[in-house]
Parts: sequence; C-alpha cells; structure tokens
Amino acid sequence: MPGILIFSENNAIALELVTAGLGLKATMNHSLCAVALSEADATALAAAGADKVVLLTGQDWPEGCAQPIAELAARELAAVILIGGTARGKDIAAKVANELDAGLVTEAQTIEIAEDKLQTTRLKYGGLAVACEATVLPAVVTIAPRTFDKAVAGGGQGQITSLAATGGDPRVKVSELCPIERQGVDIAAAARIVCVGRGLAKKEDLTLAEDLAKALSAEIGCTRGIAEDYHWLPVERYIGISGQNIKAELYLSLGVSGQVQHVAGIRDAKVIVAVDTNEKAPIFAAADYGIVGDLYEVAPLITAALKK
Amino acid sequence: MSKILVCYKWVLDEQDIRVNAADASLDLSRAKYKISDYDKNAIEEAVLLQEGQGATVDAVTFGGDAVRQSLKDLLSRGPDKVYYIADPAADKADGYVTAGVLAVAARKTGPYDLIICGEGSADAYNQQVAPRLAASLGLPAITYVQSLKLEDGRVVATRKLGDCTEVVTVEGPAVVSVVPEINKPRIPSLKQVLAAAKKPSEEIKIADLGLSPRQLAAKTVTLTVKGFVMNRKNVLFKEPAQADNVAKLAAALAKEGVC
Ligand SMILES: Cc1cc2nc3c(=O)[nH]c(=O)nc-3n(C[C@H](O)[C@H](O)[C@H](O)COP(=O)(O)OP(=O)(O)OC[C@H]3O[C@@H](n4cnc5c(N)ncnc54)[C@H](O)[C@@H]3O)c2cc1C
Repeated sequence: MPGILIFSENNAIALELVTAGLGLKATMNHSLCAVALSEADATALAAAGADKVVLLTGQDWPEGCAQPIAELAARELAAVILIGGTARGKDIAAKVANELDAGLVTEAQTIEIAEDKLQTTRLKYGGLAVACEATVLPAVVTIAPRTFDKAVAGGGQGQITSLAATGGDPRVKVSELCPIERQGVDIAAAARIVCVGRGLAKKEDLTLAEDLAKALSAEIGCTRGIAEDYHWLPVERYIGISGQNIKAELYLSLGVSGQVQHVAGIRDAKVIVAVDTNEKAPIFAAADYGIVGDLYEVAPLITAALKK
Repeated sequence: MSKILVCYKWVLDEQDIRVNAADASLDLSRAKYKISDYDKNAIEEAVLLQEGQGATVDAVTFGGDAVRQSLKDLLSRGPDKVYYIADPAADKADGYVTAGVLAVAARKTGPYDLIICGEGSADAYNQQVAPRLAASLGLPAITYVQSLKLEDGRVVATRKLGDCTEVVTVEGPAVVSVVPEINKPRIPSLKQVLAAAKKPSEEIKIADLGLSPRQLAAKTVTLTVKGFVMNRKNVLFKEPAQADNVAKLAAALAKEGVC
C-alpha cells in the first residue's frame, strides 16, 4: 500500500510532521511511516501516531541520510514525503526528490490531496504573494518549523524496525560542528517589539530604542541590514521572511522602510506603529498608526509620554 | 587554474510588483528584472576566488527571452563568459526542470572544479537547485555556505545551519549554495561595465541539450498566485507639533489596550 513518509533530524519538528501526515492519512488512507535517527525519537514518533517507524543507524551526518531515505521511500511506494524545513532538511529533501525523479515543494504552509495531486500553498516574491500549486505524486514537501502543532503521545502502537544506512560519500568530510550561541531572547514569542531600521544613524543611538523598549516592556527587534550588515544586533533579532516571524500585540518601528521581505514577518502583529521621515515609505501602508517624523525627535517623546 | 561555474536567475524585482487591492491579483506590468539577490552573492564569491587565486569564471542562466537583457549586467560583475539558455519553457519550470537543464548545460561547458549557486531565488525561493544539480552531476553538495575556500583541488566550506555551523571538506569538485552573509556584492565600476561589452556570451539552445519532454515537464504547476492584502487602519498623525502626534498615538494605543 502506498504510504506517507516523514522525516526530520529534529524530533520536535518530526512530531509536527506527524500531525501534518495524520491529516493527509485521513484523506489518502495511506499508512504513515516515520524515519528516526535515535531510539528515543523512534519511540516518541510511534507513540504519537506513526504506523511504522524506521530507525536509521550508521549515519552521523543527517545529509548522508538522503540516499537511504530515498530508497526507503521507493520501497514503501511513498506518495508523499514530508521533511522538516530546517537547512539540513531542505538539503536532504532536494536530494531525495532528485533520486525519486519527483517534484519538491519548499516550505508549504498548507497541504492537501486534490485530484490525485498534492495541492499546497507557499509564499512567493519575498512574501508579497501566496502561490497555490499542484504537484504530481510522488511528491516531496518541506514544512517550516511550527507550521503544525506537535502530535501528542497517544496510545500509538507503531512498529519500530531498524535499518543500517550504507555508504556515505568518501569524498565528503564533516568537522568542527559548532553550536551558534543564542542570547536567550525569542523575538518570535515577544509580546511587544520596538524594531529599529537603518534610519538609525549609529550603533550608540540604539539607547534611544532601548529607552522606548523599557517604557513599553518590549524587546528590541531590527531589520536585516542592522543585524547582517552592521552587526549592531544579533541575527536572531531580525524580523522578516529570512528572519523571525513575530506575533506581538504591539510592533513599533523606528526608521524602517517596510520592504516586503520585512513586512512578511510582521503580518501577524496585532497593532503596527511606524515612525519614519519618509511619508511614502511602504511601512505606513502596513501600519495601523504612523507618525511622519525624525525618530530622534519622536522616539524620546513617545518614551516620555508612556512614562507618564 | 581552477574553473568555476556560477548559476544565476533573472527575476522580476518584487519591489515593483503591486497588489491590486480589489482582487489581490498581482500587477507585474511595472516590474523590471534584476539578477536574483542571492545570486549576486554567488557571483561575488566566484569573482573573489578568481581575484584571490586565479580562476576562470563562467556563468550560466536559464530563463525566458528576457534573460538576454541580463548578460551585460552579469558580465560587468566579473565573470569571464556567460552561457544562457533562453526559452519560454523557463516560465513554467520548477526546481526539477531548472536543475535538469543546468546539469546538462554544465556537463557541456565543463568540467568545473566548483559550481556556485545562491541559496534560493528571490522570486520563488525554492532552495533546491544547488542540491539537485549536485545530485544530477554526481557531485557532493555543500548547501548554506557562509565562507568558502578552494585549496589544492579541495573545496572547504563553512555551513550555516540555523543553530550551528559546520565545516565540510570535499575532495574534488562540489556544488555549493551560498547565504547572503558570505560577502557584500560590489556595485560594478565603470571600467567593469565597459569591459563587459568585450566579454563573450554564448547561447545554448534547449533543443541541443538532449532532454526528453518528460525532463522538461514541471512536476509542480502553479494554480493561482494571490497578493497579500494588509488590512490595517493606516492612520497617520499629521499635526505640526510632534508632541501632539505622540499624544494622539498614546491615546490610540491606550484604546487598543496595548499600553
Ligand atoms: C531576498 C531578500 C530577503 C530579505 N529578507 C529580509 C528580512 O527577512 N528582513 C528584513 O528586514 N529585510 C530583508 N531584506 C531586506 C529588505 O528588502 C530591505 O532592504 C530591508 O528590510 C530594509 O531595511 P531598513 O528598513 O532598515 O532600511 P532602509 O530600507 O534603508 O530604510 C530606512 C528607513 O529609515 C528612514 N529614516 C532615515 N532616517 C530617519 C530618521 N532620522 N528618522 C526616521 N526615519 C528615518 C528612511 O526614510 C527609510 O524609510 C531582504 C531582501 C532580499 C532581497
């Protein structure tokens, strides 16, 4: 019987894929097979509802699992292969799709089966638009973290088997695995955010935003240039399609022009406020409230007003 | 001397795309083309290697007829030669088709010691061409690269993977995809722009690539594309004194219950 295959090297994301996979299973009537890289992960996936879990052993580098996963997908006649949309996952997904001569949808936001094809939605043009696409089966799909809720452990009785991954590419050597230190803030979960853009003239002026953030009990976020080009703030604080998606009740920007790639990350904010000298800046079209003016004049006034 | 291939896509500039508020359709009529932003990093990295240690840099692109407009811009950024496949088939191509076309083209114009791609394209951002291309060519892929070296026939790259970095060393040729932090693409100088006019470009006909109709048929087809419409209040406070605007803002935020 054709199946649905899921994989993520990160088990929290794999559990989200179980939710997505069970959704498909309800319409497709196919069994759900998960691939895991550790015994603990395999047990958790089986408990969460995977009908079958294959424990892949003998491969330290997740990217090296592409070949065995593709072989497994072929053997299982998998019609849909869901892979967690991490950087590693996207690398693996492309190789699996290539091996299976299949299409690959990157970071699908919704998935369903319609007319014997996989129908998905995803962002296009830097977040400006949503494309609805149909892919012939078998199809590979990556799904960004937190797109689906984690499946919770129920009375799942999925059977666990193990499979030794063979091969590995002798030309490739991986070394110096080094975790990136996070500074603890999770902008994605912050309730209030003061966001600075390149309207800020120099790093020292961040104090202006910090004062306002303090008055608002907000976290500081920024645009990509502030983090990636100027390195004034850590990269995990930048908001947008290539950075964080925020869900704050209040987002207040200082000197942010509001290009689409940035705005794509603030759409879920409840109230959007913008301060910018340029009345034509796109941020005002995306904002609930705006003040056209110099942030060096306006930000301290807002801070003072809030302190009252 | 090393031979490098850099792949690029000629895309619509999303900043010129308007969303029609009435039906959320996209108005592309005023949109100009640009070299995809991520590919500018790929091109810059190839040119840095060319300058640093001597290498020849070829570029290749697959696109619709508009792709011909890209050649001069591309060459002014430093590559020695550009190959282009201009065919309407590109308008419906997905990652499967694009990587297939580029793989055959690279076999024709290669072999290469290194093939560099951007991590994704600025329009579709499918992030799959580099690893697919690698697989099709039977080469290792090193994706999401933030620093890159070529030494004695070896490719040494540091990958950026969200929560960690790692170094990948490949003996022999590899296909890499680079992330924007890897470099800062320069703006071509007048001298480079003038030099571009003298550099060669060569068209490769899609028919000469020997791909079957099946290999040219996209696995993914687009059904609809809808622009995001932001439904926001769009209230601008425009009193002459900023203190008055701030007072109004504070009142509005209090009313929203967020202050
Ligand atoms: C593929 C791709 C992906 C991208 N992903 C992201 C992303 O995830 N996140 C992101 O943020 N960007 C992203 N970008 C970049 C994005 O397109 C914009 O370039 C960026 O968001 C602009 O940052 P900014 O608003 O800080 O700077 P600018 O666009 O330079 O805007 C600065 C603003 O400050 C105003 N200003 C200047 N001085 C003052 C003053 N004294 N007081 C008040 N206002 C002032 C100006 O009027 C202007 O509106 C991406 C781009 C590409 C091509």
